[in-house]
Amino acid sequence: MTETPTPETTVPDGETPRARCPYCDRPFGREALCDLHVGEIHADVCTDAEREAYAEADEQEVDDLFFYHMKVVVVIGVSYALFVLVYMAVLGAT
Amino acid sequence: MRLPRPRRSAAVVAAAAGLVWAVQPALAHVGSLGTAVQNPQVPSWLMVLTGGGIVGVSFLFTSFVTDHEIIRRINRRGLALPAPATVRTAARWTVRLVAVAVLALIVVTGLVGPQSATANFAILVVWAGWWAGYTISVYAVGNTWPALNPWRTVAELLPRIDDATYPERFGSWPSVVGLLGLVWLEVVSPVAENARLLVGFVLLYTVVTLTGASVYGAGTWFERVDPIARVFRWYGRAAPVQFGREGVSLTLPGTALVEGTEPRGEGEAAFVVALLWATTYDGLVSTPAWTTLADAVVGTGVPALLVYLVAMAVGFVVFLWVYRRAAAWSRRTADSYVSASFVRRWFVPALIPIAVGYHVAHFLGYFLTLSPALAAVAAAPFAPPANLQALVLPDWFGTLQLAFVVLGHLLAVWLSHALAFEVFPGRLQPIRSQYPFVFAMVFYTMISLWIVSQPFTEPPYV
Repeated sequence: MTETPTPETTVPDGETPRARCPYCDRPFGREALCDLHVGEIHADVCTDAEREAYAEADEQEVDDLFFYHMKVVVVIGVSYALFVLVYMAVLGAT
Repeated sequence: MRLPRPRRSAAVVAAAAGLVWAVQPALAHVGSLGTAVQNPQVPSWLMVLTGGGIVGVSFLFTSFVTDHEIIRRINRRGLALPAPATVRTAARWTVRLVAVAVLALIVVTGLVGPQSATANFAILVVWAGWWAGYTISVYAVGNTWPALNPWRTVAELLPRIDDATYPERFGSWPSVVGLLGLVWLEVVSPVAENARLLVGFVLLYTVVTLTGASVYGAGTWFERVDPIARVFRWYGRAAPVQFGREGVSLTLPGTALVEGTEPRGEGEAAFVVALLWATTYDGLVSTPAWTTLADAVVGTGVPALLVYLVAMAVGFVVFLWVYRRAAAWSRRTADSYVSASFVRRWFVPALIPIAVGYHVAHFLGYFLTLSPALAAVAAAPFAPPANLQALVLPDWFGTLQLAFVVLGHLLAVWLSHALAFEVFPGRLQPIRSQYPFVFAMVFYTMISLWIVSQPFTEPPYV
């Protein structure tokens, strides 16, 4: 991708987005997502305050991602174990 | 489009080539994906489940790569190759003339050459040479079709009879209908064995294509409408060699699919789904389950051709529905306001490796089996040697074919992951946006593996 596009967005009726990007008007359901977007896409024009908000949101993401990855490791382990058990059962039966 | 029945045609060639029939049990499975699952120890349901499991777990592994820059760097690894303009022009005209000459030879040999399917130049070149072998070269090497396309060469020499502009509201839909129509015709007619019928189709296609190109202009026609050129363009984007405006470049296979952010119409997603479904449909009609179903429906008095047509349409709608549901659901799992329509159009290139994996699984063996016969007939189109040889593939080839199906899906999971990071902010939102697509891909994998694990059954009533 040469550059990230501005995707079309639709906001469901009766819902107000919690945040909108001040540069491209893209709506977001959470403040943090908007901060991340501004820091990633509009890094060259954003203000110091926005840069700080981005750093904060990014740090929170890294923490959340760590717990997410813990869960992923568990799911991979369980899948592996289940497949080994199924194969043992099937191959053992024949 | 295509799709001769590889397994049946391979058996026909083996028989016609006079191979010793004492080895029939082994030969009957040549090029058949069925062999891979003849292993009595691993039942086919487990193989299908394993394929789905591998694709699902691969998604979990991609979740560890969350740095935008690393994802981009992996997908952008490449090399620009020098190609002097004079060399390019000379090469282009040489291949164009050769391609037009081959097309003319196909028509002539189809009409007056030996009519046996396995010794006919037209049949072998179109199905084994072009639709199997050449298509593999398009996604394995690069899309040379725009340079080679003999219809394009002729169309560019013909005057415009009209200068109509292509109606934008049609988008890619005419090519969707064209693609599904070509595959349906191939399945319900003996076009893979009957040389004269094949020439009839080639001439009909020529008339339609040249008329269309002279009404809307060759550029527009081959870019927007012609299903064959469009199939090759999509397949070509999975290839390592990319021909761009800046010259030739070398990329990692598949990564060019995530390059370029040109706006795609709604029909474009439908076209790629149609390509995926077309290959699946061809396999589906040669399963025992289809024979049972067709027997039951035709038994009630419904015309067989209609049954095939309805199955084609219904399957396409189901595949498209699954993809559209995944896109709409992705909006929710990602907690995003990005429109479902944008999501549909954005992620569609990720489906191409799946279609490629399925094509290579079906046609590599078919091409290799027929390649000695193809070479012999190409050397003497009007008087082919009486004793044509077929290549006998080793037993492990079936396993290799199953591996291609799974590999295609793995690449699709990676591309979808990379595309998600381009459109959703942060790291968790892009990962969460992928849940529905992973379900859709596991669904496609399991359908494909189920079909290829079924014993080949001649499609009934056609």
